[in-house]
Amino acid sequence: MKFQIPIGPQHPALKEPISLRMTVEGEIIREADIRLGYNHRGLEKLAEQRTWIQNIYLTERICGICSHSHTTCYVQGVEKLMELEPPKRGLYIRTLVAELERIHSHLLWLGVAGHEAGFDSFFMYTWRDREIVMDILEIISGNRVHYGINTIGGVRRDLDDGQVKHILDSLEILRKRSEYYKNLGTTEPSFVARLAGVGYLSKEDAIALCAVGPTLRASGVPMDVRKDDPYAVYGEIPFEVCTADTCDVLGRTVVRIQELFQCYNIIEYLLKNLPAGPVAVRAPRRAKPNEVVSRYEAPRGENIHYIKSNGTDKPERLKVRAPTLGNYAATIKMLKNGFIADVPLIFAAIDPCICCAERAVSLVDVRTGQEKIISMNALKQLSLKISAGKVRKREAEWPL
Amino acid sequence: MNDQVLIDKAKAGLGDRAVEIANPAPRRIFIRVKVDDLLEAVGWLKNEAGFTHLATISGVDLGQSFELLYHFANNFTCVTIRTEIPRDHPRLPSICSVIPGAILYERELQDMFGIVVQDIPDGRPLVLPDDWPAGNYPLRKDWKYERPPEVIPGGKK
Repeated sequence: MKFQIPIGPQHPALKEPISLRMTVEGEIIREADIRLGYNHRGLEKLAEQRTWIQNIYLTERICGICSHSHTTCYVQGVEKLMELEPPKRGLYIRTLVAELERIHSHLLWLGVAGHEAGFDSFFMYTWRDREIVMDILEIISGNRVHYGINTIGGVRRDLDDGQVKHILDSLEILRKRSEYYKNLGTTEPSFVARLAGVGYLSKEDAIALCAVGPTLRASGVPMDVRKDDPYAVYGEIPFEVCTADTCDVLGRTVVRIQELFQCYNIIEYLLKNLPAGPVAVRAPRRAKPNEVVSRYEAPRGENIHYIKSNGTDKPERLKVRAPTLGNYAATIKMLKNGFIADVPLIFAAIDPCICCAERAVSLVDVRTGQEKIISMNALKQLSLKISAGKVRKREAEWPL
Repeated sequence: MNDQVLIDKAKAGLGDRAVEIANPAPRRIFIRVKVDDLLEAVGWLKNEAGFTHLATISGVDLGQSFELLYHFANNFTCVTIRTEIPRDHPRLPSICSVIPGAILYERELQDMFGIVVQDIPDGRPLVLPDDWPAGNYPLRKDWKYERPPEVIPGGKK
């Protein structure tokens, strides 16, 4: 007997409301289907009617967590179209904000993963430390979410010595705490057991379905735009691409924790080698007819903008592909043959924050046609109940 | 593998099918093919050149025709295959048989440009609502959004 479970589409905390329809046999998901577009804002059409400068603020509002990703991707494309060379210091500050954003996104994700796995103190600790990063971002840019620091030809705000010292001091705290979480997360057997083997995505599937970011890297594919196609100043910064080969949620957690430490190293390098000079150059209002493909490694994965100019002060076409869209096809694959109780965890693992809070799930009984609505909390309780009764996978080892 | 190696390889592998190969910036290669050769070019790029990752498909309305850009990437460079299809007969072969991950991007093209993707495994609308009026393709240049007049129930006529 097969059941169909719809999840979604509306939730106030989601950036991309999404509807999932899963056909289940007992507890096992046999088919999964995704329906998108509930929050389609027609942004690509709108961008064609706005000037180059106005579009920075438009692209900033594509996403609330990786707002800097989209502006950087857009701005560095436009700089190529206008044949501008931003000053070194501007690029350093741009990269600094990008890495701070990666830290805050990964800390947020770690918290969500802990929360979905029923480890709520982990969630509270990581989110407390995320505040440190948010404070740094506020000190640099004046804003916590939409930093508004990018402009065509550089950045809008400079750093002073006090800010540099503050960031370096905060970095020490973050490093120490991340070390603590790494140990805490790795020595907690129920946490590791909950994540290991969930949401399996083989290397072949990850490549075939064009997954991006930590999802792809956790399947053992070392692809990172920062390394493959260095933009801004990544060409001169020493860092490593983090991968894992467990292909599951545990691997995705490992990749993100390792990336946190890489971020701290990158930020330290940036601040210690910060060149002097101006932070921006003056940009013209128009761009010659041309086209550019701009790529950026957002916290969630590869972000790509295709920009075409036509000689006016407005773009002819701005195509945006955010990383989460690239991961949906892979998510369907991960959900298949998994348990209903694992849905929150698998979905959280690609980091769309799709099931962070109350979310109505209606269970339709095909035999009787009866519909039963349960909340996400109840679903989570179910998940905890199921994993509580199980024999602990003691052999599951933290691969760090 | 640097750009020049790949360009030479493309010239040898694709032959006449590559109408134009451009390299406007480091790590950016644009290959123009005819729409009939698209599947072969994508297959060559995946199997012979090792570009397994399709970043996205961009569509551009050029007025008389639609231009499609398939952005591929690997660890070394980024290749874009471009092709054009006439606007009054917008038909495009699906590349899902070669790259399964292309499905969402092809569905988006169908929604936004009204391009008919042939042999697509799953052709349902992706981003537009279910009650979207037929024949409205938002990213075509001649499509303009007109906000319906607001009627306040019980308000002044």
